[in-house]
Amino acid sequence: MKKVGIVAGSISRFDNPRHTLAEEMCAEAVKMILDDMPDLELGDFIRKGYACCYSYFSDILEQQQCMHWIIHDYLGLSAVPAYRVESGGATPIDAIVNAALWIRSGMFPVVLVVGWEKMNELPIQKVNEAIAIAGDTDWDFVSGFTYNAFYATMEARRMHVYGDTEEDLAEVAVLNHNNSLDNPYAQWPAQHGFSKITVEDVYKSRLISWPYRRYECAMTSEGASALLLANEEMTKKLTDNPVWISGVGFGTDTMRAGDRPDNPAWKGLYPEDEKVWPKNIPKPMSPYPDLLNFGSLRVSARMAYKDAGIKNPKKEISFVEIFDPYAGVVLAGLEDFDFCKRGEGKKMVRDGVIQRHGELPCQLSGALTAQGHAVGSTSIAQVVDSYWQLSNQIGKKWGAPSRQLSKPKKAFIHGHGGTGCQAGAVVLEV
Amino acid sequence: MKQPGSEKMIKQSPYDEKWWEEWERKGGWRPEGWKIVEMNDGPTLNDLKPEKFLVVHRPHGSMFHHSYGKVSQFFIGLLEGKLYGTKCPKCGLVYCPPRAHCFNPKCRLAETKWVELPKKGEVHSYTIMAIAWPSMAHLQPLVGAMIRIDGTNTCLPMTMRDVDPEKVNIGLKVRIDIAKDPKGDLLDVYATPAEEPVAPKRTPEELKRFREDMEKTRAWVKKTFGTK
Repeated sequence: MKKVGIVAGSISRFDNPRHTLAEEMCAEAVKMILDDMPDLELGDFIRKGYACCYSYFSDILEQQQCMHWIIHDYLGLSAVPAYRVESGGATPIDAIVNAALWIRSGMFPVVLVVGWEKMNELPIQKVNEAIAIAGDTDWDFVSGFTYNAFYATMEARRMHVYGDTEEDLAEVAVLNHNNSLDNPYAQWPAQHGFSKITVEDVYKSRLISWPYRRYECAMTSEGASALLLANEEMTKKLTDNPVWISGVGFGTDTMRAGDRPDNPAWKGLYPEDEKVWPKNIPKPMSPYPDLLNFGSLRVSARMAYKDAGIKNPKKEISFVEIFDPYAGVVLAGLEDFDFCKRGEGKKMVRDGVIQRHGELPCQLSGALTAQGHAVGSTSIAQVVDSYWQLSNQIGKKWGAPSRQLSKPKKAFIHGHGGTGCQAGAVVLEV
Repeated sequence: MKQPGSEKMIKQSPYDEKWWEEWERKGGWRPEGWKIVEMNDGPTLNDLKPEKFLVVHRPHGSMFHHSYGKVSQFFIGLLEGKLYGTKCPKCGLVYCPPRAHCFNPKCRLAETKWVELPKKGEVHSYTIMAIAWPSMAHLQPLVGAMIRIDGTNTCLPMTMRDVDPEKVNIGLKVRIDIAKDPKGDLLDVYATPAEEPVAPKRTPEELKRFREDMEKTRAWVKKTFGTK
């Protein structure tokens, strides 16, 4: 197997608005990589056969198709092979997975991944709409539901079947927000200052779509991030502090969440999970994932674990970044990623397992509700934060040495789009 | 061999073509105005400096002419006050949303048949929207539910009427209604309780919070739209 290394990573911070253009934010991010790597020449990209992989979600938010052509040109990389990856919220993680596979194929020794999003040009209702039309516009969107509402129906069902509570959701929001306070790339402290929040503050934030409240939903953001990936030989040549992408995975589920309860494609796929079902509730034909869990997360995670040779994820992984547009995805994700049994995600939250000093720290960046969610940049930034953790650079990059974990070995980062229509995952290790 | 021939008009609802043409022309990119703003910016919070930006207000709008393809029958049904789904002749799965081809991997994309569906179903899950579509904001708090229509293997998302948001719950039997003036999309379909709803269990704190949330939402609607 060809190894893929992370040579450098960078973020141009999340905020809303950031009136800076997408290409300028991308240039800021790539410039930070160049500052870290004095020997890397952008002119080498064409001469040495490198490539670029671009990640952004929406052509509608800026009314600009082929935005990556503008970015690529702006970076001075014309002539260099490049293309764009797009899969809704899964866009940035899929860009990383794609880039890693390009390198493994032997085609490119070095790939630059750049992701961004601009989400402030339209009024917020129209931003919600632009995101919602990643749902089926004939059968999902025109029911009057936005994504807030779809994720809310999924969490309401989890509450009914598993007993998740409003407090569990609020605890996840508190974790995210307070984790973001030392992160100089995070949107929450940029907008709201550096004070900790409590469960009561979450309850005071406005209702969006029951059970979800404002602080439990992703922010809409503007920002950019970049990762420089390379094959083993080039990684060792370019850095003496590498982190390796030892596993990648991706998976899918139905376009419409409503088609999941009786989906024959899932029936019998995960028999252990199908057994977890309370007696007094009618059992659908495909009890896993139903509207309770995210099947695509499971498929992508198991693929990434297998790829990385991970047998016991909870034991082997040091920390996790979950892509959580809504707090309930953390509860479901912990289950789908095999960190606990189905229905027990809430227990890991209640027991403090995912806290900063817990057994399996999660959302160290602040994730989507606090670091921010500039869609095409989101998972790249979460991978960059995790890369800095693993390469012992948090002190330098965040200016917050207290937030550096002590010798972490492996990290798991996941991303997904739609209502879990598509998902991707990577395992990083030192 | 046959040729597809040209499109033949069977029936058409009126729409103000002229008005929309004018709207598309107006929404044609030229700025309606601009502002110059200054704010601190930079790639990290440790590296900010004041920057000046020009922001233009740039409109864009269009009318789309969308075909519902081979599942058009569902929407033609709505115009006639009927509810249709499709059924796979091989595995028997019943779809609403309908599919023209069965997605059961065993059925090798078999073509489905139309079946008329009963106008009743059950709440598979639900939410109470305090932020709905802008065009439906005056109905907030608005109950949205994933409804499993009786005899189908799918859920159709729809809004609910005549239901107390506090009482809506999973398993609630519902009646499915079709709007009297159907426009030809899914919003023509909505659900109302077909039995006395039994509220989900809430702690006293949760119930208090829930009621406050509903009050706040209704107050906002009243302030914004002056109704309800």
